[in-house]
Amino acid sequence: MSYAGVIPSARSRGMVRESRHLLFTVAPGATWILVFLVLPSAYLMGVAFMTNGPYGLPEMPLSLESFKRLAGFGFLGWSPGNLYTLLRSLWQTLVSTGLVVLVAYPIAYYITTCREKWRPILLLLVVVPSWTNQVIRTFGWMNLLAPGTPLSELAEALGLISANMGLYPSNFAVTLGLVYNFLPFMVLPLYAAFEKLDTAQVEAAQDLYASPVRAFWHAVFPQTLPGLLAGIVLVAIPAFGMYVIPELLGGGKGMMLGNLVANQFAGGSNWPLGAAGAILMLLATFVGLFVMRRIGKRLGGGEEVVI
Amino acid sequence: MRKRTLRRGLTAFWWFTLAFLYLPLAVVVLFSFNASNSAASFTGISLRWYYRLLGNEEILSAFANSMVLAIVSSVIALVIGCLIGYGMYRHRHRKLGWLIVLIYLPIVLPDIVFGISEMAFFVQVHRLTGLLQPGLPTMIIAHVTFQIPFVALIIYSRFVGLDPTLFEAAKDLYATPAKRVVHFMLPTIKPALISAFFLSFTLSIDDFVISFFTAGPESATLPIYIWGAIKKGVSPEINAIATLMIGAVAIAAIISLVFSRRRPA
Repeated sequence: MSYAGVIPSARSRGMVRESRHLLFTVAPGATWILVFLVLPSAYLMGVAFMTNGPYGLPEMPLSLESFKRLAGFGFLGWSPGNLYTLLRSLWQTLVSTGLVVLVAYPIAYYITTCREKWRPILLLLVVVPSWTNQVIRTFGWMNLLAPGTPLSELAEALGLISANMGLYPSNFAVTLGLVYNFLPFMVLPLYAAFEKLDTAQVEAAQDLYASPVRAFWHAVFPQTLPGLLAGIVLVAIPAFGMYVIPELLGGGKGMMLGNLVANQFAGGSNWPLGAAGAILMLLATFVGLFVMRRIGKRLGGGEEVVI
Repeated sequence: MRKRTLRRGLTAFWWFTLAFLYLPLAVVVLFSFNASNSAASFTGISLRWYYRLLGNEEILSAFANSMVLAIVSSVIALVIGCLIGYGMYRHRHRKLGWLIVLIYLPIVLPDIVFGISEMAFFVQVHRLTGLLQPGLPTMIIAHVTFQIPFVALIIYSRFVGLDPTLFEAAKDLYATPAKRVVHFMLPTIKPALISAFFLSFTLSIDDFVISFFTAGPESATLPIYIWGAIKKGVSPEINAIATLMIGAVAIAAIISLVFSRRRPA
């Protein structure tokens, strides 16, 4: 806008044109997301406050019935089933995220120690399995962990499981599936952090006879923290809402919140209850994002979480 | 000395992790060539499960559905996402925080919430108006919704990476905006366009949860078919389709990577 401010009318005409340009480029996509995602999500939230009709569809009047059901209060009094499901979701998220971090740190570090021209290829090797459909990958684990397979027989021989049980379905299988599924999402941001690592600090720590643990804790860890936080966002939030893995690998006792929500819709049994569960999941998502951003800013990482 | 043991330990851990990552896929591929229908023992090489796929109408129609869904949704998402990506770039000095939130929403929303929101919405719209009966059209709408952000971000980052004076030069060189688009913009962002298309395609083929909740009875895609087959009881045919899908997605993803200037992230 080289003529901006020269003649008022020309300037305002230019601004009108810019605004129209903005409208033409942005409006189709913005409208699409508004109509086909924001509106449906808003509707779903409304459903949570409605009453469950005889056909599993939401009906008036408004009530908090579904939230009571979610907390475990049913026709037969209080039962802990839903609470267990919720706690299991939290626990699985916590354990699998922790394990993913433990595996991803050495892997990301290892890649940075390799020759520069190999690094993209090594990174690619880690990422490629995640391009395959989740259902297929989980099916692969079902094949590996079923009764009678070498892994199950090994576990049996070690006395970890009772005879002919197999490693799946179980909570262990769900944890394994989650770790498998989310490992690349942690390796990528950690690798990016390791690549930018200032090695002078690490060498200084070693010169001062810091033990490897102290050198890691004081010289490496703070520098990789932004990557770690980004990784946690990418792993923990989707893990908490996971549906496919607990459904296939968990069995009845491995159910997580995602299954509780999905079952209310897939079977058509209770939309309001499912919607209430979805609200819980959304809350967890946004609180998680918010907390991670705050921690990131507080610790001076200052880096935007990149997805 | 200690450094070398550390390095060796790391290398061992790396190979162990790679085995962990590829083992489930390897098992699926291996058993797709199994002569017997046992899921526990490998008895010999045969292509019988692949031949059986060819005669299975349900699988063929699921394959066709997957392809139509992926291609149509990717094309629509490419057009809309491209526009929005360019708009974000051109107007990056304005306050567009709401737009960024809107664009990130489909990415951060848990799949399951995404899927059931759409399902609940489509069912109600259908009940009230008779439109949007669950089927391929509703699935296309849902897929476009989650593809738009990725296309927009790829196109946007390509524009940001360009020298801003190029736009001035193009303005001097070509008289009309239409000519500028055809002779300057589209050729310049061509790699990003191709990469965005293949990423959208891959995302669509890869998706299960959102497809599952927006599908109608006639519009099962391959992942939905596989899901049903697993639930009904494992058949070795699943290994064969899964193997084909592993191969196809790997090829599409590699093409996307070759054309993309960005690192895989």
